[in-house]
Amino acid sequence: MIDGLKERIANAVQNQSQPTVTILSSLLAVEDELGYIPKEAIEQVSDLMSATVNDVWAVASFYPNFRFDPPCDHQIEICWGPSCHIKGAMGLIEAVLDGVNLTEEGDTPDGKVTVRYNTCLGACAQAPVISIDHNLIGGLSPLQAKQRSVETMESATTHDMDGS
Amino acid sequence: MADEITISIDGVEIKTEPGKMVLEAAIEAGLYIPYLCYHSGMKPFAACRMCVVSVEGGRGLPAACTLPVQDGMQVRSETDEINETRRGVMQMLIADHPNGCLTCHRIDICGPSDVCLRHVSVNDRCITCPKNERCEFKDTVRYLGMELESPLEYNYRDIPLEVSDPFYDRDMNLCITCGRCVRVCDEVRGDAAIGFIQRSGRALVGTSQGTSLLESGCEFCGACIDVCPVGALVEKDHKWEKPRTIQKSICPHCPVGCQLDLEFNGEGKFIRAVADINSPVNKGQACYKGKFGLEFLNKVTPIKQPLIRRDGLLEESSWEEATEFISSKLKNYNGDEFSILTSPNSTNEELYVAQKFGRLVMKTNNVDQTSNITPELTVGLERALGYGAATNSIWELENSKCVLVFNTNVTENQNVVAVPIKKAIRQGAKLIVIDTREVELTRRADSWLRPSPGTELLLLGGILKLLVQSSLHDVEWISENCEDPDTLYYVLDSIDLDEVVAETQVSLDDMGKAAELFATASSGSIVYGLDNLRPDLQRGCVVSLVNIALLTSNVGKPNSGLYPMRIGTNEQGAWDVGCVPYRLPGGRHWADEDAKNEIESAWDCVLPLNRGKQATEILSDGDLSGVKSMFLIGDSPNFTNGGFALGYDNLEGLEFLVVQDSFMSPATAVADVVLPRTLFSRKDGTYTNLERRIQRLGQTDRDLKGSDTEANALSLIAEKMGYGNFSYQNASEIMDEIASVSPIYSGVSYSKLAQQTFTVFRSGMDNPKPTQLLYSSKEHRGLQWPVSDQESLGTSVLYQESFKTNNAAWVTPEYNQESKSTNDAEYSSWLVPGRVLLQSGRDTKLVSGRLNHLERDELAQIHPLMAKEANISQGEKIIVETSQGNLPAIADIDESVPVGSISVTTLFGQLAVELQESEDIDPMSKVVGLNILPARLVKN
Repeated sequence: MIDGLKERIANAVQNQSQPTVTILSSLLAVEDELGYIPKEAIEQVSDLMSATVNDVWAVASFYPNFRFDPPCDHQIEICWGPSCHIKGAMGLIEAVLDGVNLTEEGDTPDGKVTVRYNTCLGACAQAPVISIDHNLIGGLSPLQAKQRSVETMESATTHDMDGS
Repeated sequence: MADEITISIDGVEIKTEPGKMVLEAAIEAGLYIPYLCYHSGMKPFAACRMCVVSVEGGRGLPAACTLPVQDGMQVRSETDEINETRRGVMQMLIADHPNGCLTCHRIDICGPSDVCLRHVSVNDRCITCPKNERCEFKDTVRYLGMELESPLEYNYRDIPLEVSDPFYDRDMNLCITCGRCVRVCDEVRGDAAIGFIQRSGRALVGTSQGTSLLESGCEFCGACIDVCPVGALVEKDHKWEKPRTIQKSICPHCPVGCQLDLEFNGEGKFIRAVADINSPVNKGQACYKGKFGLEFLNKVTPIKQPLIRRDGLLEESSWEEATEFISSKLKNYNGDEFSILTSPNSTNEELYVAQKFGRLVMKTNNVDQTSNITPELTVGLERALGYGAATNSIWELENSKCVLVFNTNVTENQNVVAVPIKKAIRQGAKLIVIDTREVELTRRADSWLRPSPGTELLLLGGILKLLVQSSLHDVEWISENCEDPDTLYYVLDSIDLDEVVAETQVSLDDMGKAAELFATASSGSIVYGLDNLRPDLQRGCVVSLVNIALLTSNVGKPNSGLYPMRIGTNEQGAWDVGCVPYRLPGGRHWADEDAKNEIESAWDCVLPLNRGKQATEILSDGDLSGVKSMFLIGDSPNFTNGGFALGYDNLEGLEFLVVQDSFMSPATAVADVVLPRTLFSRKDGTYTNLERRIQRLGQTDRDLKGSDTEANALSLIAEKMGYGNFSYQNASEIMDEIASVSPIYSGVSYSKLAQQTFTVFRSGMDNPKPTQLLYSSKEHRGLQWPVSDQESLGTSVLYQESFKTNNAAWVTPEYNQESKSTNDAEYSSWLVPGRVLLQSGRDTKLVSGRLNHLERDELAQIHPLMAKEANISQGEKIIVETSQGNLPAIADIDESVPVGSISVTTLFGQLAVELQESEDIDPMSKVVGLNILPARLVKN
């Protein structure tokens, strides 16, 4: 368990600045803080919102953007929205997956890189677009994309395979 | 009465009321529109789209369940277009539900061992589904006339079955996501122990992170099973059995008096209980006890004939011989050497006969019911207001704006009472809980006051003082309806609030907030019990609560009032018909001269002059208070669940003991004569529930003569002893006699009770309908006493016209400063147990197995001051020692716990597992309450 996890969750859910606090906004706050929603967060959000854990889970499990286990060190998102698709997003997907040695979106087994497909990263003018750790990179060729993903993979700290 | 409007459905004109939905109106009129997600008693959901209809002049196909009725509306439900749409919807539903058999014409003739020529896999066959023959979904498919081949490909979800939870089996491969279970759990029960998980094509019903029901906050009420239209949620016991007969009955486990529909198979074996949806008492709800606790009906008893002990062994005998023997023996114990104790689940008629036997034949007032262990519960209430019973009906709580729950754990003991309370909270009502223990309702409380044990009365005094001090009382109402409250004000004046705060350890702010919440609400109800209250505080607390209700003018109007939470199923009945030592039939005081004269002339006798002894006095006393012989009826659960711990031991001191019971028990082991006793499901009679509702147990006449009921046994013995006025043919005759000697029951008769039965649905077994609807086309309303004459239809709210003796009296207790110690040199603290559905922030480990178990560290919560004194730090291992055993725990320092108390909270799931695994014949009747015990802290 991450040190001070409970405190971090509590801070995140209690310090929401927007006027309307809901189960969903609280979950988003936790996801922003930790990058995922741990079991403890489900409990804390349910306490805050006077809902049961099952109610909170109903919301959390509805959205595929929430994850429930710690994310990898780096996130690569590949846009496959219409513009990027026309400009060759499928090629980028194949290249990136090849670069990190995955066959479909998900986490690398060593916990270094998470690859996700995104329906629109909002930069259609630069299509095809990928984002590495939330930095947008446009106009990539498949070869460049593979290179970037390999670099990302290599820049990640080595994980103890038994831990985390 | 709302305006009546007329709509037509497929040309059939039906009358209905504005505000109803078309589907609701159709169901009530007995017309069938197919539906799957709608269920009576819940808000329409419009998810399944099965109830689509068309409206003349309207566009599209709206769902009938969310379509409000309008006068003159012409609805069509059976056109080709609609049927085609419904079939289209159904094709999508059955693409996710095993359907090989659903659409097959051989479905009704296929047996489990038949080889299916269509190669439907075994998993997918209806014959292997527990809901087969009572599947609403299958019936709907048949009704729609679905084609054998569906254009959509069938997809088996292949989800593992969840069969490790107590009482429940879940098979999510069969779920059609109608959402009834999710909605009933959330909307009706207020628990939300299950919810929708995931989305779109993968959406299903489940729990947070797929945990077991033990960890999800389930109270095992079975409501979700009762509403499930498919085989996804079913009872674990007798899962595959098919019902052949349905019998209406009343749950024998608590005084709520839930109406249940009992299913029996062809051999008369009890299969399961379904809560009756038209019952005014439980409205389709039950609880873990009623839903899963009737298995004892199937237990084989060795007591088939009367048994007489000869040379230390019980030998079979005949009724003739046994009654002769008993009567010859009992002749030697006339008067106060004899005592008769009845069962909590004896009927009013049996209780009446028992007390008549005690008073008339044996000439003693030693008549009592074994569950009547806190008689103080209603004595103060009666003295102040006039009647010793709840002033209002259970479901009025739903509309109450503020509910005060005092020292009672309704969620466990009178479960269905908690349902309207939780519904009220959902609608914005405030909840105040006064209890040192952490119980299920505390988590929903707007104000939870935790007085130090033993200071409850002082706390109520403080609240009363704050009510008056802050002028929160209704002076005008008081002057019109109550006697002069000067004495009360005078006593309240002398209360020192600082002292109250110091003793109770409840802050003035909290007290003030509770007082304000209750007084400012437009209606307030008080639900109270006497759990763990010291005997010398009991009456004071009750009258204080009455005073709170009176000061805030919450008596004599709907949605308010006081609800004493009795323990025994028919404890109210025992008080009403005089089967307690201090009451004569009609609930009148035993020394009331008018009442005595009336009964003496009715029975042609002289009533005994001595004060009767209570069960507690006799059984907790080593010398049995002079009682030498006893007639004990029923498997007295109070012997084992804490009421009288030494009860069984003391029975050995009796010279002559007759036990009438359905099963062998420690009491039968020391009995001189054992008589068989009919189970509740096989007898006729009435129960009076805690809202004063007299309900008939079965709806069928049964002969009393020749039956194994206590009424028959006592009549036979009385006749042998020379008393002719015990000759009753049936329970109805006894009720007539009760009515003739009890003013509050004057207008009650079986024919009147039968008149109180109303047809609600015109429902036939041929329509695909939810089980609950198929079983209950009638509403059995019963009668709430006082039923003063033949015309009267009972009284749902007491004191609406006036109080019994014009004005309500103020009974003022002394709010003394009380000692907070346990008066025990050895154990100076209190162990305060609690039980909740869920606890956040605690690590709980699930041990999965054939049946899941929960494992976790016991946390003992103590106040920082106490921790400091004992030099205990957070997380340290300690032992809580009590006279009944030691509990190792981990210290958790918490300011909300009063100094001197050690709070330990268990999970309801743990109790559920124990109950499921229990080898006891009737474990639900022996659920141990949460008893506060003297204790001390030791470092481990």
